Amino acid sequence: MLQLRNSTCLWIVAALLLPATTWAAENEDFDAIHHTADGYYLDFLPIGKWELPRIFVVRSEESGWRVRFWRSTTAALRSGVMTAEVHQETAPADTAREVLAPSDDHASSHLDIEALIESGKHLDAHLVPALESERVILDLSMTRHLVFALLAMAFLTAVFMQLAKRYQQGIGRTSAPHGLVQNLLETLIVFVRDDIAIPNLGQNKYQRFLPFLLTAFFFILTCNLLGLVPFGGTATSNLNVTVVLAAFTFVLTQVNGSRDHWKHVFWPPNMPVPVKLLLIPTEIMGLFTKPIALAIRLFANMTAGHLVILSLIGLIFTFGQLFGSVAGYGVAPISLGLTLFVYCLELLIAFIQAYIFTILSALFIGMAIAEHSHGEAH
Amino acid sequence: MYLAADLLNANPGLIVWIAVVFTGFVLLLRKFAWGPIVSALEEREQTIANSINRAEAALAESKRLQESNTQARRKAEQEAQRLVRKAREEAEALRAQEVQRTREEINALRAQAREEIARDKDSALQQLRGEVADLAILAAERILMESLNAKRHHTLVDRFIDDLSSRKGDAPPYEA
Repeated sequence: MLQLRNSTCLWIVAALLLPATTWAAENEDFDAIHHTADGYYLDFLPIGKWELPRIFVVRSEESGWRVRFWRSTTAALRSGVMTAEVHQETAPADTAREVLAPSDDHASSHLDIEALIESGKHLDAHLVPALESERVILDLSMTRHLVFALLAMAFLTAVFMQLAKRYQQGIGRTSAPHGLVQNLLETLIVFVRDDIAIPNLGQNKYQRFLPFLLTAFFFILTCNLLGLVPFGGTATSNLNVTVVLAAFTFVLTQVNGSRDHWKHVFWPPNMPVPVKLLLIPTEIMGLFTKPIALAIRLFANMTAGHLVILSLIGLIFTFGQLFGSVAGYGVAPISLGLTLFVYCLELLIAFIQAYIFTILSALFIGMAIAEHSHGEAH
Repeated sequence: MYLAADLLNANPGLIVWIAVVFTGFVLLLRKFAWGPIVSALEEREQTIANSINRAEAALAESKRLQESNTQARRKAEQEAQRLVRKAREEAEALRAQEVQRTREEINALRAQAREEIARDKDSALQQLRGEVADLAILAAERILMESLNAKRHHTLVDRFIDDLSSRKGDAPPYEA
């Protein structure tokens, strides 16, 4: 039975990988980074791409602040209000700005934009207002990673509201928890509370930070896992997202820092004065390196897994191109096997990184809120 | 074409989005999910801890009760044994007393009977002695009717009787 299940899983994974590989075979510029990086569309290879809404906060001398909204990048470009500033590599010899900038001759500029849309490169373009006087202050456009972050939040909200309702009905409050979902989630919740929050924050203060730790844990875990779903995207493989999460930890740490914490930073005790002067900048730097490390660790782990998987798949085509299609087919089983292995590893890493982010957050907050006498050794 | 550097692109718009949405998300879950769930878990843990404490207390109480019950039973058993022994001893004593009294009665009756027998024997002997004398006289009369007169007869009898009374218990030697 177990054997059967294993082989079934293998086939499912292989089948899921097939569309991507087929597409890659047809379009030779399949790019691992392109797939991993953020974008203004959802990628449903090989069916197509779904463009996401573009929202810009713009400011101009004449009309002041404005919010501009379009259903898609294509719509934004076709409106004529926005135009594309294409990367050097993709643009023709002359700079794209020159080629695409609206001139008096509207027809020609329109044609160029249509050509850009036709080539599909408009999604990689940097959009700027067509009017010189207007400037984009903030590009609030929906991106793939934002969509998956919102998806994770919506999913978690639905799941945990439902779960809370169960507890309010008395299931798990006065009676034993019932059902797979409740037992599974309760195990994780109790794990975060008993093995992450309480040991690091102390029995008396953990309640204050538990909601953030639980939210961060489940959000990161869900985002990580969404990246392993076909057509999915990993919000946590975006540095912007992880920086925000780490900023939450940073703010909570500093806002709740005890007197001892600040004293430790600005006048480290039990040291000769010259050492103190040396330590103070180090301590101040330490305040920031902690959350920065948090952000980069999560981002790098989630990005690396995807790049490794895509590179392993890429091996098939590299071999196919270098040594002929027979070599490509020959490498395929090895490549897929390794991919499956890394995929399972990523599944593990999805949990580990959620755990690490949460426990380190708890640790940093715990260190800052701790009140201790400085007579003792650290 | 994307570059590796694109993975590190700063996107202020995305930062704003995530910061705002995630703040709302944390607050939402804190109020509507974590609050009820964690409080329910704590309540349940409290209930379980209380139940265990109560069960342990009840167990200790029942052990104590059992102990005192055992002691009481043992005491009752000892008391019962003591009572049985006492009753048996009393019964034994009563029986012995009864036997003694019966034996005494029997002895008394036996003595009385023996006395009566002795008295009857004496009177019978007396009677027999009279009869024997008369029979002897009669027999002697018949033998001596013709040769002896009444006077001589009486003298003989008297001498015989005297002789009898002087040598009582022996067979009277007939000398005449």
